[in-house]
Amino acid sequence: MNSSRSWELPDSAVTSHADFLQRREFLVRVGMGLAGTALFPSLAGAASFPSSPNSAYKLDGIALTKESDVTSYNNFYEWGLSKEEPATLANKGWKTRPWNVEIGGLCDKPAKFAIDDLLAALGAVEQRNYRHRCVEAWSMVIPWDGYPLARLVELAAPKPEAKYIQFTSFLDPEHCPGQKNKSFNWPYTEGLTIAEARHELAFLATGLYGKNLRNQNGAPLRLVVPWKYGFKGAKSIVKIDFTTEQPNTLWNTMAPSEYGFYANVNPEVDHPRWSQGSERVIGGGFFSSKKPTLKFNGYEKEVASLYTGLDLKKNF
Amino acid sequence: MKLLSRIIAHKLTALVVLLGLGIGLLIVPLLTGKLGANPLEKLLHQSGEIAIWLLVAVLALTPLRVLFPKSPLAAALNRHRRWIGVAACIYGVLHFACHILYEGDPAAILKSFSKPFIWFGLAGLTLLTGLALTSNNWSLRKLGGKKWKLLHRLAYVAAALLLWHQTIAGKGHWHDSRWLIFPLSALELARVLKPRLIKKAPAKTIQPVQPQPSQS
Repeated sequence: MNSSRSWELPDSAVTSHADFLQRREFLVRVGMGLAGTALFPSLAGAASFPSSPNSAYKLDGIALTKESDVTSYNNFYEWGLSKEEPATLANKGWKTRPWNVEIGGLCDKPAKFAIDDLLAALGAVEQRNYRHRCVEAWSMVIPWDGYPLARLVELAAPKPEAKYIQFTSFLDPEHCPGQKNKSFNWPYTEGLTIAEARHELAFLATGLYGKNLRNQNGAPLRLVVPWKYGFKGAKSIVKIDFTTEQPNTLWNTMAPSEYGFYANVNPEVDHPRWSQGSERVIGGGFFSSKKPTLKFNGYEKEVASLYTGLDLKKNF
Repeated sequence: MKLLSRIIAHKLTALVVLLGLGIGLLIVPLLTGKLGANPLEKLLHQSGEIAIWLLVAVLALTPLRVLFPKSPLAAALNRHRRWIGVAACIYGVLHFACHILYEGDPAAILKSFSKPFIWFGLAGLTLLTGLALTSNNWSLRKLGGKKWKLLHRLAYVAAALLLWHQTIAGKGHWHDSRWLIFPLSALELARVLKPRLIKKAPAKTIQPVQPQPSQS
């Protein structure tokens, strides 16, 4: 790879002519979207999205996954086990406003925020293009809008004994068909070490493709940790806690031999049931687009130092 | 009820349903671009689902007939056991072909063969293929009814292997496969228990209907 930043993609990933033509259609749709926002300001929420990505995470020449694929192919078991269900079932009147996010545990500034107040407190929104690698061996490239997670950590001012951060998603079995399935330990929980949470790549997203997050993508606020498998990215967060002990996470509690706490993308450590050596690129057509998986999902240079001395095969 | 049973018993009905599943769930979505963001994966899953549901359906038919010997519906459905079984095998082979395409290159295909869920799938599909190939009348005559029947009991082994294959093939698959495993187990259990329970009943003794090789 000859690009200056290791997360940039080679020129071979340049958008094809067909995709370029689709972009024209996309521009029309964005125009209509903006008009809609003008007519219905409540749709816009509090965040105002930047028009271009943060140059450090821009990925020139990158082939972004089509927006329609990002918003229609989702693992969000709260809404059902299939990839298609979240896009339909999460959009039958389910509301993400009003929405509260509670920050607590071992920190000096615990607080309960209305979501728009929290977003305002997190400062300016930036756009970042990130690789996304699912533990099921498929991948996307997604333009997220949001904030470095480090900003929230600063805001909360964790105590020195806080070693981990836990994210808890909403619990609403009454409206949420997947949460009626009692064999999952709802609500969804995920966690990071404090060092991981402070890393520049750890991100809290509130939008994608320059629009508010769709419900199926984890509105109004979700975690994005691009060097880890996608399930680490807790969606529709309502609670963030600082702890001394490694927090419980849903998948790690359900199947500890299959889903580790760290869950760093690693082609050398297979899932017990399938290979992690390669991944299918979503939107790459029928027969093409399987590519080797990169260690730490291509972010090795940036994050490997977080794990010096740690046996990544044991701490998968 | 009688008319319905006659319609269900008709060969054309089986043909329409068994082909229709493939046309409706695989071919039409493929031609209209409705397979979603990961089309080959969708074909892979969909063909596997059709195969396993058909296999469980065909195994459920004998217990249904034993449990409801007088039902014309159960009798009508039982006429199609052979073709449902063959269709399960064909969709299974299609599913395997999708797996080969999905893995893409020889190295990845080879690597996939190191995974237990593939062993279970392949073992089950091999059995099913053997059964499909010997499902014709010629094989039945050649082997003789008794041997043929014994051989085709392997369908239960294939089902156990393939249901386990489905369960461990992906994240959260147990939540789908249990909807097949529990009902089928309950039916088979009821079928085994029924003659014993009836023998214990003092008043009347009913001769349980023995399952017979399909003669449709």
